[in-house]
Amino acid sequence: MNRDAMELLQGTLDVLILRTLAWQPMHGYAVSRWIRERTEGTIEIEDAPLYKALHRLERAGCVSAEWGVSENNRRARYYRLTATGRRRLREEESAWRRYAAAVFRVLEPA
Amino acid sequence: MRPRLLSLIRRTSSTIRQDVDAELQFHIDARTDALVRDGLTRDEARSRALREFGDLEDARAYIRRVDTAIEQQRRRRDSMSELRQDIAYGFRTLRRAPTFTLTAILTIALGVGANTAIFSVVHGIVFKPLPFPQPEQLVKVWSANPTAGSMQVTVSAVDLDDWRAQRTQLADIGGWWYADGGSGIDFTGSGDPQRLSVAFISPGFFPTLGVQPALGRLPREDEMIRGGNDRVAVLSHGFWQSRFGSQRNIVDSTITLGGAPYRILGVMKPEMRFPSDRVELWIPFSTIPDNATPRIRPVRIMDVMARLKPGATLAQARQDLNAITQRLAATYQENTNWGAATVMPLADAITGDVRRGLVALLAAVGFVLLMACVNVASLLLARSTIREREVALRLSLGATPGRIVRQMLTESVLLSLIGGAVGVAGATFGSRALVTMASGQLPRTSEVQLDGTVLLFAVIASLVTGVLFGLAPALRARGTDLQASLREAGRGLVSRSGQRLRTGLVVSEVALAVVLIVGAGLMTRSFIQLLGVDLGFRPDKLLAVNFTINTSRHTGQAHRLVYREMIDRVRTVPGLVAVGAVKHAPFRGNGERISFVPDGLTLGGGDQAPTAPLFHISDGYFATIGARMIEGREYTVQDGAMSSPTPGAPPVFSGTPSLIVNQALAEEHFPGTSAVGKTLRLGQTRIPIIGVVNNIRQTSVEEPVQPAMYINNMMNSRVGVTLVARTRGEPLAMANAVRGAIWSVDREQTITSISTFDQFVGEAVARPRLLTILLGLFGTLGLVLGAVGLYGVLSYLVSSRQREIGVRIALGAPRGAVLGMVVRRGLLMTAAGTAVGLVVAFALTRYLRDVLFGVEPTDPMTYALVVVSMLAVAGIASAIPARRAATVDPAIAFRSE
Repeated sequence: MNRDAMELLQGTLDVLILRTLAWQPMHGYAVSRWIRERTEGTIEIEDAPLYKALHRLERAGCVSAEWGVSENNRRARYYRLTATGRRRLREEESAWRRYAAAVFRVLEPA
Repeated sequence: MRPRLLSLIRRTSSTIRQDVDAELQFHIDARTDALVRDGLTRDEARSRALREFGDLEDARAYIRRVDTAIEQQRRRRDSMSELRQDIAYGFRTLRRAPTFTLTAILTIALGVGANTAIFSVVHGIVFKPLPFPQPEQLVKVWSANPTAGSMQVTVSAVDLDDWRAQRTQLADIGGWWYADGGSGIDFTGSGDPQRLSVAFISPGFFPTLGVQPALGRLPREDEMIRGGNDRVAVLSHGFWQSRFGSQRNIVDSTITLGGAPYRILGVMKPEMRFPSDRVELWIPFSTIPDNATPRIRPVRIMDVMARLKPGATLAQARQDLNAITQRLAATYQENTNWGAATVMPLADAITGDVRRGLVALLAAVGFVLLMACVNVASLLLARSTIREREVALRLSLGATPGRIVRQMLTESVLLSLIGGAVGVAGATFGSRALVTMASGQLPRTSEVQLDGTVLLFAVIASLVTGVLFGLAPALRARGTDLQASLREAGRGLVSRSGQRLRTGLVVSEVALAVVLIVGAGLMTRSFIQLLGVDLGFRPDKLLAVNFTINTSRHTGQAHRLVYREMIDRVRTVPGLVAVGAVKHAPFRGNGERISFVPDGLTLGGGDQAPTAPLFHISDGYFATIGARMIEGREYTVQDGAMSSPTPGAPPVFSGTPSLIVNQALAEEHFPGTSAVGKTLRLGQTRIPIIGVVNNIRQTSVEEPVQPAMYINNMMNSRVGVTLVARTRGEPLAMANAVRGAIWSVDREQTITSISTFDQFVGEAVARPRLLTILLGLFGTLGLVLGAVGLYGVLSYLVSSRQREIGVRIALGAPRGAVLGMVVRRGLLMTAAGTAVGLVVAFALTRYLRDVLFGVEPTDPMTYALVVVSMLAVAGIASAIPARRAATVDPAIAFRSE
């Protein structure tokens, strides 16, 4: 694991999960791998908060879960983005973009 | 996700735990496998996977909590959507059977509506606390004379002052004198003279109630005593609005009352309607002049209430007042036997004598609701047999029995709520009609309204009703035998248990009906007895004009002349048969109670003279009202002769005083001899008796007549007058002529009321009449509901056994026998129900004893009539289905379905 990895900003995980599940329904392990690959180790992510977040999102109605069969023929819990989740993703994504743009405007030399 | 109405699989806490474990295990395993593929050993891979995961146990616990919450949320949602489904399904089912639905809804509406209406009245009058602060501290107080057995006597204004001064356990004590149509004052100086309805109050009146005015202030203590500045008045809100157009500057202005200036101190709030909603003014009792009501101890006319000190008990108040009255009895000779007081909660005193009747009504109307329940239950049962196939189908499709019961109950509660809503709509009219019917006969009717409590009652009554009548059929549905039902349903076989249940329902319904009819029958018999009572006078065609002669304009002895002249003038009015006058007409006052000593009675040291009410009458009064002289004669014009002592001086009464007594007094004090010629000592004067009149019902129709004395108003003058005229035709048609004759003597004379003796008698029996009408109504309802129930069950029986009946007829059974079989069955059920009902009625009706007159609660005649009428109605109700049975075509036996 990358020693220089940054701490995950509060509230970021939810949007990352939603974004990931927007591609296709997948189980928790796949979500974990996907995020790690996409962030290329820049952000340190533990799996425990990821699973907590998945179930929290299920309770909020953003994702639904169903048992299915994994690539290696084992019972795995698949998560799927719901309409509510999709809406939430759109909102958070645009919020993030505005936030990042604002930060960059400050950081970049005038 | 597939749309799903219900999640069929319920996650229990153990499945949640297994799922969470499995999910996490899958993750660890998958990661470990991946790392092994990358070249790590299995152990290394596993520990790395765990390290990457973070706090596994914490996550496990957290996820379980979240999943449990999700599951609970889902269950709530499911049961809500199940309920929605049940309701929608219920609506559909009910719409498919409109006749059944309409019958059921109307039956329930009747039951709930009647109950809500009666409850609203009972609640407003009996249950609701009095509209004063800390109403539980308020008590009613009476003077008591234990020797005479009179425990609830109104109080002397003089005694009341002493009670107030010496009290220790009472926060305050106050009294009032108010008589409907009797206590009033003339209001002049703005338009036509007007007679106002007044409550004359003692200093403690307002402080005891704890009320405050809406405008202005209440009288000070020094404004409520004789000789003080006591010409002050407080207006009722209604009078202020109607007469003064709600002007706020009315406070501190002066109005002319009884010919004298009174200062208006304030206006009360609208809810202050004590002691009556008809009160227009509150005026200090001290303003009443001695020639109207002497302010002495033996004149006991005030109603008194007191407020307990916080924490003081009723017993302490009783002790306190008894100690005071004993001291007064020891000090004042006229109070010798009055050394006691009666104390009871004010609320009880106000509603006391109507409570029994109202509670009886509430019980009766409760029975009506029960019968409505039974009827609807039996309707539902009949339907549930038809629906057995539907239930069986749903069971076979996987519905749980619990689910079916819930569905059935939802349906019946739906029915009962709709019925209840219709009923409440009806109750708003019923409640208003009741109050109108009871006008003036019930206390506190202004507080009768369909408020939150009453609506809550209606909702609860409807819900309980729904569950009650829905339960039996629902539980039966649960027990539906799948196979048997699918096989038999629609083939017209009646299951034994269903038959028993329905028979039970009919029997209990007949029993309830019998109880209701017995109550109604007893009340009717009692009312007939009441109407048959010999009143001692003939009330038809008697006009009564009530007024008070003004003493501030007719000063000295002049008011006697005015009285004399008014009677003489009215006697000249054509169309009148006879004219007389009395201070208190029958059922319009109790006279003035005074003590007397008859000839031959010697009083020992501690003995108290007997007392009787004294009535002030004119000559010819008894002839006018149609009373009969038992012996002697009544007053003539000569008895009241007046002459001037010296020429030119105002005339004064110059005859010899005399008395007339009633039969009750004559029999009690002069048994076996003639009372005429004997004397009664009133105060220090011996007065001869010149006549004995028959007993006249004066205070109530029910109570036996007590001894009474009559005196000529010219001898002992009173200004309160009820002029009585017997008319040739309709009495009220003569009202204008009589009033004109009175005004020809004094154009300023105010008239308090014009009515007829028939009205007085009508009002005197209005309360029992109301009770009779309502109990009669409920009795009829009970009879109808019982008959309908019986009819329903028998028709069902006949239609479900058509095939069997057809077989019998085909095998040669005479049609008469078939008819007899059905009728016999109906009468058998009725007989069983009647027997049960009679026993219950026998046990319950003794609570009616207090409201019955001249009839025992066990009156055999009433019971016999009830049995006969119940059987007769049952016979008719059975005959209709029986005739249908007898005309069954035998071919039906061979027809296939």
